[in-house]
Amino acid sequence: MAYRADYYAGLINTLILIFVNIAIWKAIYGEDGSYDGVQLKIVLTYIVLGFLMQSFFIMDDYFIQNKITNGLISTDLLKPISFRLLVFSYSIGASGFKIIMNLVPAIIISLLFFEFLPPFSVSMFILFILSLCLGYLVLYCLNFIVWLTAFWFYQTFSLVTIKDALIAVLSGALIPLWFMPTWLYNFIKLTPFDSIYYIPITIYLGQTPSNEIMTCLLKQVLWIVLLTVIGHFIWKAATKKLVVQGG
Amino acid sequence: MPIIEVSNLTKDYKLNVRKKGLLGSIQSLIIPEYKMKRAVEKISFTIEKGDMVGFIGPNGAGKSTTVKMLTGILTPTDGEINILGMSPSKQRKKIATKIGVVFGQRTQLWWDLPVSDTFDLLKSIYRISDSAYKKNMEMFNELLGLKEFITQPVRQLSLGQRMRADIAASLVHNPDIILFDEPTIGLDVIAKEKIREFIKVVNKEKNTTMLFTTHDMMDIEKTCKRMIIIDHGTIIYDGTVNEIKEKHGKKRTIVAEFAQNINNIILPEGVEITEEADNKKHMQFNRDEVQVSEVISYLTSKYNILDLTIKEPEIESIIREIYEGGIDYDKTVSGDSEEVISEQLGVSR
Repeated sequence: MAYRADYYAGLINTLILIFVNIAIWKAIYGEDGSYDGVQLKIVLTYIVLGFLMQSFFIMDDYFIQNKITNGLISTDLLKPISFRLLVFSYSIGASGFKIIMNLVPAIIISLLFFEFLPPFSVSMFILFILSLCLGYLVLYCLNFIVWLTAFWFYQTFSLVTIKDALIAVLSGALIPLWFMPTWLYNFIKLTPFDSIYYIPITIYLGQTPSNEIMTCLLKQVLWIVLLTVIGHFIWKAATKKLVVQGG
Repeated sequence: MPIIEVSNLTKDYKLNVRKKGLLGSIQSLIIPEYKMKRAVEKISFTIEKGDMVGFIGPNGAGKSTTVKMLTGILTPTDGEINILGMSPSKQRKKIATKIGVVFGQRTQLWWDLPVSDTFDLLKSIYRISDSAYKKNMEMFNELLGLKEFITQPVRQLSLGQRMRADIAASLVHNPDIILFDEPTIGLDVIAKEKIREFIKVVNKEKNTTMLFTTHDMMDIEKTCKRMIIIDHGTIIYDGTVNEIKEKHGKKRTIVAEFAQNINNIILPEGVEITEEADNKKHMQFNRDEVQVSEVISYLTSKYNILDLTIKEPEIESIIREIYEGGIDYDKTVSGDSEEVISEQLGVSR
């Protein structure tokens, strides 16, 4: 019962957020439906797509922290399995569940009630799916680094909150990055954040010129590699630091 | 070639010193103060294949820390561990297939899953062959009675059942070494006995090397021949259980019930009264100084005695005295564990 209530609440939450944001953007655009040369329809599709992605991009930020604070991490480390793979599989599994249970109903409702443009073309859609998967991995690698700080701080709530805020603003999940001031936009391009939401969504919308798509995908891959390497070193340091709580 | 080799193992913990009160909290927030605590200090020992070794010490002596370092969960600050030629903190996954660990205080079973599912999961995690798995499960059913509760979720098990399942789970992959961290904690006498018996059978049949930490001296007496006592992070004794009894258990107590109350009893030299109640008297003496038979014949010849018993000190009271520092342990005498092991095995290696 408790789980069922949680599930419906999560679904309603996604829909309310989409609805509110659509209302905000419609208000900004006013009557004429065009602002800075960008069509309202494109922005709305961007927003809806962003929230649909967020519905399954959300990961359990306290999975590692809980294992450390209650000491159960020792049980995992006693098994001949890779702890990092365990965490990754858990995240993939949870996201898979959310795709089936949250995303599918949310897509159906969005298609029925919200103005939602189809993908620019079939090939763009395939590239979008690929870029989406890469975006997920970038987010995961970034999250993993933040989660690992639990080995030092035990309580990571503040750090997770800061991370979430940064992602919400800088990744283009809430506001399309083309509305950002140029200097900020250029700065974000140097960070891994735009790889998470902005790149996949603009590919879907056909806003990325086809000759730049490969560069964007390559950029995503590069960030995955770089963040994985950083995560690897932090993990090595974390295992040295580990203090098993209680007993 | 010893199966476990530990040399100069040291582990430091960094503790955050918290000051009292609101001002103190703010102070430790701005200028945190740390204190280093040495949990384990330069301990060395070796364990041979098939040995059963008790690892005892008071709370906070460093037992669990040592066990965790042996499994590779904790990385030692200094010193070396060699298990089957591998270093646990560097080759954790490889070693995990060779060892089994039982933590009495926390379960390794999946809390919400039925016991049988846990075993199925372990089977695939450790890649156990069907035949070996079946054989082991039969053995566990027979000796630990897993069948009674194998379909229940772990959270519904009693402590005794959970412990039995935990021990079986740590053995299902036929490990070469099993580390028990207080396996009998909180169990009743019968459950304890059952687990000890099981451990003994496994040790005999599979020649599994076992290291125990426990506070229950009966566990050690009934299962292990050798024991290592650790206190304040250092080893203060490493030798056989019998030897420590011999060395430190020299005191004998005669409890005699006299026919009438004797107020000023005259005793041989070296014998003193430790307790008196009605006609019963407890008389203590050192076995090396006074002969038991002498005391008895002296007493019987002089007084009318109704009942007489001789008490040997129990291992528990000896250990208590060691913890309290009553017995000055002389390292040079029985520190030679090599000799002790060969004695224990009784065979040439």
